[in-house]
Amino acid sequence: MTIDVAHQGGAVPASSRRRRPGLLRRIVQNRNDYAYIAPALIVMALVIAYPIYYTVELSFFKTPANLAMDQKIFVGLDNYWTILTSKSFRDVTYNTLIWTIFSTFFAYVLGLGAALALNREFVGRGVLRAVLLVPYVISAVAASYVWKWLYHSDFGVIGALSVQFGFTDRPINFLDNIYTALPAIIVVNIWKEFSFAMIMLLAGLQTVPDQLLRAAQVDGANAWQRFWHVTMPHLKGVSMVTILLLVVTNLNSFIIPWIMTGGGPAGATDIWITQIYQLAFGRIRFGLASAYSVILFIVMMLLGYFYVKALTRGDEAKSE
Amino acid sequence: MSTQTASKPAPMPATPVRTRKPIDWWRWAGRGILAFLLIFTALPMAWMVITSLKTQLAALQYPPQWWPEEVTFENYLRLLSPNNAIGHEFLQYFWNSLYVSILSTVLGVVVAVPAAYAFSRFRFPGRQALFFSVLLRNMFPAVVFLMPLFLMMKWLGLVNTHGSLILTYLTFGLPLSIWLLKGFYDNIPPQLEQAARIDGATRFQAFFHIVMPLSSPGIIATAIYAFIMAWNEYVYALTFLNSKEMLTLPVGLQRFFAEYATDWPGLMAASFIMSVPVVVLFLVLQKYFVRALTEGAVKS
Repeated sequence: MTIDVAHQGGAVPASSRRRRPGLLRRIVQNRNDYAYIAPALIVMALVIAYPIYYTVELSFFKTPANLAMDQKIFVGLDNYWTILTSKSFRDVTYNTLIWTIFSTFFAYVLGLGAALALNREFVGRGVLRAVLLVPYVISAVAASYVWKWLYHSDFGVIGALSVQFGFTDRPINFLDNIYTALPAIIVVNIWKEFSFAMIMLLAGLQTVPDQLLRAAQVDGANAWQRFWHVTMPHLKGVSMVTILLLVVTNLNSFIIPWIMTGGGPAGATDIWITQIYQLAFGRIRFGLASAYSVILFIVMMLLGYFYVKALTRGDEAKSE
Repeated sequence: MSTQTASKPAPMPATPVRTRKPIDWWRWAGRGILAFLLIFTALPMAWMVITSLKTQLAALQYPPQWWPEEVTFENYLRLLSPNNAIGHEFLQYFWNSLYVSILSTVLGVVVAVPAAYAFSRFRFPGRQALFFSVLLRNMFPAVVFLMPLFLMMKWLGLVNTHGSLILTYLTFGLPLSIWLLKGFYDNIPPQLEQAARIDGATRFQAFFHIVMPLSSPGIIATAIYAFIMAWNEYVYALTFLNSKEMLTLPVGLQRFFAEYATDWPGLMAASFIMSVPVVVLFLVLQKYFVRALTEGAVKS
């Protein structure tokens, strides 16, 4: 950190003394620098920028089912109108919100609890942290099948356990019931990603100065006060980033709902992404699906704005 | 029991107890959370392993056998022996996954290293804007790219080839690698290169001989992260591949499931085998992985 500051401090006066030359001039002066990023830029233009452009373009067209795109018909904003006024859009958006909010909330809270509990030395701490991280690294596809088996209506271990402990007298069919299907897959999602929040917050906890906690203790602050007034303010930045990343991941999640329920029963677990995929590759309505993507994309852009702001907060502070 | 006997003699000394007691309470709450999370995390995985050691018949029993009456490795042997049809298919998927993941990781890192270095060190115009566009990519759902990329692959004749996956995995692998690597380069003092430059090295030589070796932990961390993401990728593989012999494990697993619909022990064994490479990679290189995950998000 100190090195960085020293470096920046040396660079700033030098550039302001020169009074910045014209943009073109600076580009030409730095032309060799672009050689380093050129390969990355070319690849990104091909697989990222062009697809974004093309999705937006397709969203204004009615596309033929044979995907011969030279036969597409311009329909203006019709696709958007069709989506926004459909009843399914409202239901799917509702599911998406429930899915995203509950997954994010519980993943964050469990992650925070785990991080706080792990933030002291004890025997087996490293092993425990590693075990808790395993769900995050394994394939979501494998995880989905494992949980599908746990939830199995006849032979699932969860149903059997709930009978054993006397919660119900018959195994519950979690995934085929419109009331339990969404909560059931949210649990899987939390299982999969809470340790991401844990590891981020654990790293954040390293930045909480020990002296400050001790000083607060000397001043008579109890454990809760120390947590709320000393630890939490230091976790604010990393919490924001973590929550944003969780929200984005959850809005984008596809695998768990797709494999576990396929959006069913009766659309009870249909979220935006599964709906888009179904429209595009189930019903081959690329135009409509593109318009759906653009709507999602706009939501993401708004979130992305906050994300970049949160991430670059440190950089801006430095360069000022 | 032990806690009770421990707390009995405690009231005798006057002051230190009053400060220590509430801390103990918090510590027990922490232990409680950890115990709950350990059970929550480990039970599904344990059940996967237990089920994979059962015969088909033993798995489909109610109430379930909590521990298989006869432990069998039949499911694993069947998946891993190339001589029978299922094993042959499964090993093909495994190999496909490995091949696609390694190639796309290598390609991504090779392209990302110079770019990340430039973003970290140079001050060319447009640097900020370009770097933000790299970050913003993380916001876009895969489906936004899916339809245009599918049409593009169709046009290039790459549908149902591994080339299509290697190329499209760069949509997430490349921005991620640039972002992670830039964080690592930011932590290497520029004075080292400056010293090399003074000694007569060109900028590229300074980069190649000084910065590259120093950043190898960062490159390893980035590569692991990219590999795990590619290994677990499902959506592109589901969309671009259709012939059986091309499938990667995540989609292959689904195919396997659909064909042998009720073979839960086999499916659990397959899930287990599929998880092994990433979990082993993760455990061995945990330090790097955790660093890669948290790099950039945590600033002191």
